[in-house]
Amino acid sequence: MITSNLSESDVNVLSTAMDRVVPAVDDLPGAGGMGLAIVVVERSRADERFWNALTTVVNALSSAGSDGSGEFASMSGDEQDDALRAVEMSEPAAFALWLDVVFTIYYMQPAVHKRLDWHGRSPQPVGNEMPPWDESVLSKIRQREPFWRKV
Amino acid sequence: MTTTDHNPDRTADVLIIGAGASGAAVAASLAEAGFDVVCIEQGNWQDASKFPTVEPDFELRQMSSWSINPNKRKLREDYPVNVDDSAIDPVMFNGVGGSTIMWAAHTPRLHPSDFRVKTLDGVADDWPITYEDLEPWYDLNDHVMGCAGIAGDPANPPRSPRQMPPVPIGKDGEMLAAAFDRLGWHWWPSDNYVNSIRYGEGRDACNFCGHNMMGCYQRAKSSTDLNYWPRAIDQGAEFVTGARVREITTDSTGRATGVNYLDAAGNDHHRKARAVVVAANGVGTPRMLLMSASDRHPNGLSNSSGMVGKNLMFHVYAGVTGVFPGNNERWVGPAANMIMSQEFYETDPSRGFVRGYSYQSGRGPGGPGAAARGGKVPWGAGHHEQVKRRLGNTVGLGVIGDDLPEEHNTVTLDPRLTDSSGLPAPKITYTVSKNSRALLDHGLIQAQKVMEEAGADEVDVNRFSREAGWHLMGTARMGDDPERSVVDSYGQSHDIDNLFIVDGSVFVTGGAVNPTPTIQAIALRAADYIVNERQDLKS
Repeated sequence: MITSNLSESDVNVLSTAMDRVVPAVDDLPGAGGMGLAIVVVERSRADERFWNALTTVVNALSSAGSDGSGEFASMSGDEQDDALRAVEMSEPAAFALWLDVVFTIYYMQPAVHKRLDWHGRSPQPVGNEMPPWDESVLSKIRQREPFWRKV
Repeated sequence: MTTTDHNPDRTADVLIIGAGASGAAVAASLAEAGFDVVCIEQGNWQDASKFPTVEPDFELRQMSSWSINPNKRKLREDYPVNVDDSAIDPVMFNGVGGSTIMWAAHTPRLHPSDFRVKTLDGVADDWPITYEDLEPWYDLNDHVMGCAGIAGDPANPPRSPRQMPPVPIGKDGEMLAAAFDRLGWHWWPSDNYVNSIRYGEGRDACNFCGHNMMGCYQRAKSSTDLNYWPRAIDQGAEFVTGARVREITTDSTGRATGVNYLDAAGNDHHRKARAVVVAANGVGTPRMLLMSASDRHPNGLSNSSGMVGKNLMFHVYAGVTGVFPGNNERWVGPAANMIMSQEFYETDPSRGFVRGYSYQSGRGPGGPGAAARGGKVPWGAGHHEQVKRRLGNTVGLGVIGDDLPEEHNTVTLDPRLTDSSGLPAPKITYTVSKNSRALLDHGLIQAQKVMEEAGADEVDVNRFSREAGWHLMGTARMGDDPERSVVDSYGQSHDIDNLFIVDGSVFVTGGAVNPTPTIQAIALRAADYIVNERQDLKS
């Protein structure tokens, strides 16, 4: 478990960035507006890789404005996107992992499941149903002569 | 759950290092034949009721503590692997059952030609055994593990009836099968060690959750903690878990005498044995032999040939993902293994490469999180539209290519990196050969044809999968020539007659199929050899 934490201003940067990468849709706010920045921080603190990716991205965004820390949140949306793209270019591995963590946490939310008409339950113990095995699908391939290479 | 050593002073007949696919098979066979068996495993027993698929955050866990990659998982029982000079990351699981806990359970067999690539194609080396030599143990292993499938595949030699009918291939499998049919190309339902009906003690049929890679809550997916190990323990086999072997010990004649290991608390122990069986996978086994270097064995144990750690093979992987129109549920069913195609398995000189590849179909990832991850869905504008489009509507076709042995692909000991016990970590050096690249490129072009024929309106191409080193092979190869191989055809060391290796390390070539049934068949054959020819090892 990571013992350090993000400052309030860094969480604000994170939340703003999350609203840009997963923007508002229909009646749902963006990922930041849903209050998920705190969740991203907490889950990232449990995994060193996640934490390193998060802090790399947030630190880069925090220093993106000309005047240093805190500027990112007050940029226009287009400027924020430009800043995010710059981090994506300069720190591709960290950005990709951070994005995967943000996406995964966003798509764990029941409100998001409802919008997507996704059942939202964990894979087990209920599972799914499938039609039974139908041997008739083999009718054509069964006509083929054996073609494995003899030794 | 950790199991301690209850008989630390007793000399076991056979001490097995590693409780995965091959170690379990050997343990059950030897214990049932009356051998005194002890297994030392660095991981622990798994509780199926606690697998992450019952939790709402299972996808996040899959990226972390349940990652396939030990360098990401970073559990105490894992060892780090230096992959700075490797094109492929090895993936594995450490625990009772080994990587059969964290596998798709796709279980094809090698082809007869795979054992004769030197004779047939002039590359690599022939194995010292044939397909026919292994066939009885393939059948025995299918029976124990439980195979769902159907005999009659024209791409393979005839084989015995499967224990269960195929796992349903679903609408997505039928869609791909019809595309292969229209192209006139081979396909067949995959053999799986996944229960299509109840089979084995306490093991249900698959309930098609789609996420069986993270352990199987239903126990429908076969793993050796559910079949071989209960049999072995019933016959008196002992277990020490959470214990890390640091070296195989030898006497003044050079013969193995047992192992030194560290228990979960870090305390050092010695366990004596009349024979040692190494079953620690194609990375862990050479690491173990190299860590066991001594004055008598300065280059590592059983390494007079210099072949320990060389000729590392993975299978090279690439693939395509088709995005299909409509609102489908293409996540329903086991994660992979709907159908396979071996149309391009054998050498055809006109293609510009030797040997070939198989296709493995894979289901689209279940859940919107999985649909969003992986870089195919944009962030920002367009994100929601793309997730909606892909959710439930993707099907994958993987290319698994034959990976011929090359001596410069190696497992060595890293001079600096260590595991949590301070033992040297392995370093992988691996490059993708021109032959492998040509083979994958061919496979990707044909795979796109399949997806287009199946009706995909978008096909994503993944030219190479880095985190796909599932199959760890070749690093202690078998052979008849002690100067060119580490063990004989029964896994017995050329150098030390009471040391055996039974995992994927002994493969001479890799073929183009998942190796576990072959690994287990080799292990069972080695065990029968010990039972029949090495009664001197029995107390």
